Amino acid sequence: MNRIVPRDVASDGGTTPATSDIVLEIEGLQTEFRSPSGIIRAVDGVSYNVRRGETLCVVGESGCGKSVTALSVLRLITSPPGRIAGGQIRFEGSDLLAMSEAEMERIRGNEISMIFQEPMTSLNPLYTIGRQVSEAIALHQGLSRREAMDRAVAMLQRVAIPDAASRAGSYPHQLSGGMRQRVMIAMALSCHPKVLIADEPTTALDVTIQAQILDLIREQRETLGTAVVLITHDMGVVAETADRVVVMYAGRKVEEANVADLFERPAHPYTRGLLGSIPDIEGAARHPGRRPRLTEIKGMVPSLAKLPSGCSFAPRCGLATAACQEVAPPLVQHRPGHWAACWRAEQVLAGIAA
Amino acid sequence: MSEATPLVEVRDLQKHFPVRRGLFGAGSGQVHAVDGISFTIAAGETLGLVGESGCGKSTAGRTLLRLVQPSQGEIRFRGDDITSLDGPAMLPYRRSMQMIQQDPYASLNPRMTAGEIVEEPLVIHRIGGRTERRERVAQLFERVGLRPEQRLAYPHEFSGGQRQRIGIARALALSPALIVCDEPVSALDVSIQAQIINLLTDLQEELGLSYLFVAHDLAVVEHISHRVAVMYLGRIVELTDRRSLFETPLHPYTEALLSAVPIAKVSARGRKRVVLSGDVPSPVNRPSGCHFHTRCPYVHARCRSEAPALHAVREGHLVACHLHEAGPTLPLARPN
Repeated sequence: MNRIVPRDVASDGGTTPATSDIVLEIEGLQTEFRSPSGIIRAVDGVSYNVRRGETLCVVGESGCGKSVTALSVLRLITSPPGRIAGGQIRFEGSDLLAMSEAEMERIRGNEISMIFQEPMTSLNPLYTIGRQVSEAIALHQGLSRREAMDRAVAMLQRVAIPDAASRAGSYPHQLSGGMRQRVMIAMALSCHPKVLIADEPTTALDVTIQAQILDLIREQRETLGTAVVLITHDMGVVAETADRVVVMYAGRKVEEANVADLFERPAHPYTRGLLGSIPDIEGAARHPGRRPRLTEIKGMVPSLAKLPSGCSFAPRCGLATAACQEVAPPLVQHRPGHWAACWRAEQVLAGIAA
Repeated sequence: MSEATPLVEVRDLQKHFPVRRGLFGAGSGQVHAVDGISFTIAAGETLGLVGESGCGKSTAGRTLLRLVQPSQGEIRFRGDDITSLDGPAMLPYRRSMQMIQQDPYASLNPRMTAGEIVEEPLVIHRIGGRTERRERVAQLFERVGLRPEQRLAYPHEFSGGQRQRIGIARALALSPALIVCDEPVSALDVSIQAQIINLLTDLQEELGLSYLFVAHDLAVVEHISHRVAVMYLGRIVELTDRRSLFETPLHPYTEALLSAVPIAKVSARGRKRVVLSGDVPSPVNRPSGCHFHTRCPYVHARCRSEAPALHAVREGHLVACHLHEAGPTLPLARPN
């Protein structure tokens, strides 16, 4: 049912990327925040591309910069203390960072939409959901209020809100968490955006509701060709939805690959560690007695204010050598479309244990 | 294990909370947070308690510890009925029953140092002198993987994973026999989760602890539990050993729950899944009959009117579903 292999295997900077397919390009993005302990570089030279109709998953642990990258795309970084200090973000070829705020407003919610983790904080408690969804439609598509409301109800139906016409008159607090998230999705998709950025869209939801929401996003992508950037920490969600995956650690992209390569042959020790630390739900069959221990990644994520020199992951890495502590490794393409920033990636690919 | 008295035995446990409805509702109702559940936990065993938000799993854990007073039912610890013991009589049992909370930050006093936090239970229960207590704290710090000098630091100086280690050290201070772990890893990053899960498994092996492991993450529960109980709207719908539950789930809800969990393997893509429609109904207005009938793909007429009892389909595999009603009803099962 799902395509495991992305339609276009060539990657950025690899052979010849099908440039016409690329809707969003992030290049060398640097986003920093001023703090009492100095400048914190939350995103440090991150690049990735998003292609029409694909699902790109961006994974990493808290503070790795995955959300800040997404907020930078929509220029939603509060300044001060935040600031986009460098890089380019191109949507269909035009640089978003060079646009006026008025131009940006036409892009936001219309061409590029975002869904957040906590729907309650992104919905206005004082307006009915029908009004909130139709407002975005009226604003961006220039429809009358009545036409916009009809479209809104149709959208609510599409995201499987039962009895949508009367539910449109409900206020956000009258809906369950899963319903609210569906309203957010209806709002985000109401203008048929070319890119949908979903930041942990299901983290606050129960698994049975999560399955519904992920199905819904998949369906939208398949029918409308929307490119989806799915930000998550859940490797299960990644395995089931991604075409390609970007792994971030301490503000940098450390690996990029198509989903099959990433899971079957990770090239970065951090990715390998992450995969090993997940309990295997199908493990009962193979280990009827005592369970094997989970792989731990020792220590913890470094503070962005005090990053170690060299590779940020080196202090936690079993394969680290003296060289790793001195110079940060560049991103290198190890196989077509498979990039990793690790001095020892070849050893990791060869399956050498830490 | 099965012959001896179980460490914990819970029979028909119920906890109802009163609710006052808003402007339009008339009068008040009751939330049946825990609606007649029965289970046992053996010494050295982990019983996983899973379910979605609002299913009553956390309340079940708190009621078992008598942090909230049960509305009905019976709780036995090492065979003693502790359901209605008063404060002083309960004290010796409290020593043996501890808890680890989901949000270690919210459960640690910000004005106390980590060392004081871990020592506090010893002070309250008047165990040992000053030096002995300090030694015990040092021992506990080492055991859970904290450095000795971190005794003097305050909770805000620790990361989430380290705070959870403090919480575990505090729970271990009184050498309990049972620890109720309420979503102990769900607030932690994946790589840190693994550290805490491994720590809990090691401690169980070393100290013979029993855990009631309350969580919504099925993969974590599957990893750590010996047996698992699945809850839906206040009731246990299935209870069996972890292998049977994950390989041959019998309750339609368990089946749907398992098939909804994303598996971190590319080979699992596109597998057939049961996607449930709708949301969990409100525990205030519970559906008639089987609570799950509004979302069940196998629903038939009987389910709407008659609640199925939890009964053994075979030894050690209990299920509450009309689809599986051949087996005898266990004495432990809830009378309906």
